[in-house]
Amino acid sequence: MWNILSEYYIDILIGVGYTMLVALIGTVVGLVIGVLIGVYRTIPDPKSKAALVFKKIGDYILTAYVEIFRGTPMMVQAMVIFWGFAELNGGRTLNVTVSGLIIVSINTGAYMAEIVRGGIISIDKGQFEGAHALGLTHTQTMFNVVLPQALRNILPSVSNEFIINIKDTSVLNVIGFTELFFVAKDIVTQTYKTFPTYLLVAIVYFILTFGISMLLRFVERKMDGSKNYKVLGSQNLDAESYAREARNG
Amino acid sequence: MVENSTSNIQNANLTADEIGQPIVKIEHLGKSFGDHIVLKDIDFSVCKGDVTCVIGPSGSGKSTLLRCINLFEKPTVGRILFHGEDVTAARKPNLLRQKVGMVFQSFNLFNNLNVLHNCTLGPRKVFKLSKADAEQLAIKHLKTVGMDAFVNAKPRQLSGGQKQRVAIARALCMNPEVLLFDEPTSALDPEMVGEVLAAMKTLAENGLTMIVVTHEMSFAREVANHVVFMDGGVIVEEGTPQQIFENPQEERTKLFLSRN
Ligand SMILES: Nc1ncnc2c1ncn2[C@@H]1O[C@H](COP(=O)(O)OP(=O)(O)OP(=O)(O)O)[C@@H](O)[C@H]1O
Ligand SMILES: [Mg+2]
Repeated sequence: MWNILSEYYIDILIGVGYTMLVALIGTVVGLVIGVLIGVYRTIPDPKSKAALVFKKIGDYILTAYVEIFRGTPMMVQAMVIFWGFAELNGGRTLNVTVSGLIIVSINTGAYMAEIVRGGIISIDKGQFEGAHALGLTHTQTMFNVVLPQALRNILPSVSNEFIINIKDTSVLNVIGFTELFFVAKDIVTQTYKTFPTYLLVAIVYFILTFGISMLLRFVERKMDGSKNYKVLGSQNLDAESYAREARNG
Repeated sequence: MVENSTSNIQNANLTADEIGQPIVKIEHLGKSFGDHIVLKDIDFSVCKGDVTCVIGPSGSGKSTLLRCINLFEKPTVGRILFHGEDVTAARKPNLLRQKVGMVFQSFNLFNNLNVLHNCTLGPRKVFKLSKADAEQLAIKHLKTVGMDAFVNAKPRQLSGGQKQRVAIARALCMNPEVLLFDEPTSALDPEMVGEVLAAMKTLAENGLTMIVVTHEMSFAREVANHVVFMDGGVIVEEGTPQQIFENPQEERTKLFLSRN
């Protein structure tokens, strides 16, 4: 196993790089897709008939997207999208890296849409009413009050998606994407050392997922901020000092 | 900014016409949820500087009435006039809500923001105030309710009474023409009720127009210039605190007051 590592560590590092790249970008873009869909789905029904019809059509399209991408294996989606593109372009395939990023992003987006929606509806109705009572619009309420809380609450699920993505990008080997699993297969064809290679790769995957898991838990703790606050003394502060204290606290 | 109005509780006996047009006027308002009729033919108006207390048994429709006034609920029949303009079916209810504030039983402070930013969010997003101006405004109103020392606390770190005082300051930062209170002390431990009522009394003395749904009869008696008694979705009786508390005309009012 150590021989393989010392001989092929550059290839393995490249595989790790691609795996992490596609997992990270796929998770981030997927989250953005999820937030957009989540916000769209919680827009109150418009008053005019025409707008309502448009909104309903949008709803159906989004439901179809979510259900189709959750209901089929990503490996199959990768093949359909990659070869479908070639079919439509006279046999010219899309760049493999770009394909991989697109596939993982829209696949993750389908899961994130549901996670974000769950996060939004779990926020107390009072938070919406408190904002609406000040005269904030739905969008202002969402972006300033509801989403920050919803995102904090769904962070564990988002971390989970990230970890799933690190592992599941391995299916992209079917379109020749040089992620970690693809590298492993390559090493095996050159060395015939099947077991040690895959054991090594398993260890590398675990280090990646465990490391990310620890990192994100740290981020969660950071986001929660300090447990204490400082009560300002009775000294008469000017507005600026109050603001400074509020920022530091 | 609290209005420096002279028309406050001392002018208890002035009618709407003597002061001018009412700020809020409700005409034949009715509201049902499905088959369930919650409000029937409600008429009443509020003028500048009025402190109106709405009292009545649980389920009589007090909250629903208040929520109709800031368009949280859509009335089934009737009209809501704001400075004489019909706002019942307003396309943009948020424009009305910028002028009609609300304080909730459950505070509804923004859990993701500290005390200062709870107060600055509205002025910054709605009135596009600069950060510095909004903070100055917030601190001024936090001082009014005695919460300026807590600018960097998160809502979860405050007691109920403190939260409610911050919620009041947050509403004041929008400089509302009318401030609605829906049982602002009902979720509080008894020892915290006083601090919130004291803050509200200060606002009334400064001439703020308020509609207060409350079970605190002593507050209604002392601070209100107009008391509305509701039961079963209708206004049974209304008048000055003296009329309602000392000399109620209706049996239902007498019964309710004898129990509270
Ligand atoms: N969204 C709703 N859907 C259906 N019924 C509702 C809704 N909101 C209120 N009601 C009903 O309307 C009636 C009046 O409710 P409301 O909350 O206005 O009473 P209230 O006078 O504020 O009572 P309380 O003193 O307990 O707060 C109740 O019977 C309640 O069940
Ligand atoms: Mg109520």
